[in-house]
Amino acid sequence: MSTNRHARVVLAAIFALVPGTTFVLAHHSFAMFDTANPITISGTVTAFEWTNPHVYIEVDVAESQATKHWAIELGSPSILMRGGWKFNTIKKGDKITAVVSPLRNGEPGSLLNRVTLADGRVLGNGGPAGVGPGTPPPATAPSR
Amino acid sequence: MIAPPRIVGCVSVVALCAIAATPAAQNQPHSALTGVWAPFGGGRGADPAVAPPAAGPVVLKPAYAKDYLAQRAADAEATKRGEPPASASAACVPYGMPRMMAVASYPVEILETSGQFTIITEAFSEVRRVFMGQPQLPIDEVPPGYYGHSVGRWDGETLVIDTVGIKESVPGYQNIPHSDQMRITERLRLVTPDVLHNQITIDDPVVLEKPVVYTLAYRRLRDYKMVEFVCDNNREYVDEKGRVRMRLDSGGR
Repeated sequence: MSTNRHARVVLAAIFALVPGTTFVLAHHSFAMFDTANPITISGTVTAFEWTNPHVYIEVDVAESQATKHWAIELGSPSILMRGGWKFNTIKKGDKITAVVSPLRNGEPGSLLNRVTLADGRVLGNGGPAGVGPGTPPPATAPSR
Repeated sequence: MIAPPRIVGCVSVVALCAIAATPAAQNQPHSALTGVWAPFGGGRGADPAVAPPAAGPVVLKPAYAKDYLAQRAADAEATKRGEPPASASAACVPYGMPRMMAVASYPVEILETSGQFTIITEAFSEVRRVFMGQPQLPIDEVPPGYYGHSVGRWDGETLVIDTVGIKESVPGYQNIPHSDQMRITERLRLVTPDVLHNQITIDDPVVLEKPVVYTLAYRRLRDYKMVEFVCDNNREYVDEKGRVRMRLDSGGR
């Protein structure tokens, strides 16, 4: 088999496995976060940014000797609204506890898994399209 | 039986004109395709009656296959190390055609007006226009861009869209390269009143051994209001090694 022929065969094999829909992450890969080893952080919110392409929570976490500042990345406003979030769900000064996937490089940045708000509600990091207030479930339930 | 698309016009259909003048009628879609649609995939558990068929193979010409495979392997290795490679979307650059038609589960809004379909995506607020009943321009007369030049026609109950003029830097389907000779043909048809399929054929005689065919599936979202998406707080950046990193400060957003 020639190299060229081999390349064509390999490519065909690769793409035969690709499903019909080109699902891609909307903005960037999440590989920079250690999703296999989540941690829990508790602290006081210093900012809640309802922005695109991502929403962010800034939080001060008290440690034994000092305060450590964390940035928590969430989905986009659209994604979060499907999961019950609003632009004012969190306010500066709120006490929260968040389970997050930290950056692999050790910096205090992270990706939200779920957060427990000051009032006890627990919210995740979004939901499927069209699921939320005012939107009935689809007649069929295709897998995502 | 799915009702064929219809165009309400005051010139040709007097009775419909009167109906359209009422507030309630003005809120009705003119075409069965008008509305908001959310992409969904096939795979395990999907209803076979509405799931998209499996994508066809991609076969690149040998001159492109080697570099493509090498880049794909390098990207996979970098991602495995937790150092995802840079991408246009990470820089908040729009996807363009054809990838804009299915970005994660973000909805797509289809609007029909006289002589035109307008397609708006929620992710990155991308907009493309399809001019109905017009001849396609020669490719070398279309300024290369993200959305190119699209013309449409009805083939029975299927809306057929022909697009040319996508610039080569716009990432292709599955990140395959493409030339300025790429042509995208879409066939949009309702599988049920609330499930839409868009069969996409990518033909590029410079890069591909044969056209690539894949199908996107969408379900209708009733009463959904498209959400604003302006990319004004992008904390992702590309470092000196070409890796995507997260900036920890907001810059006061």
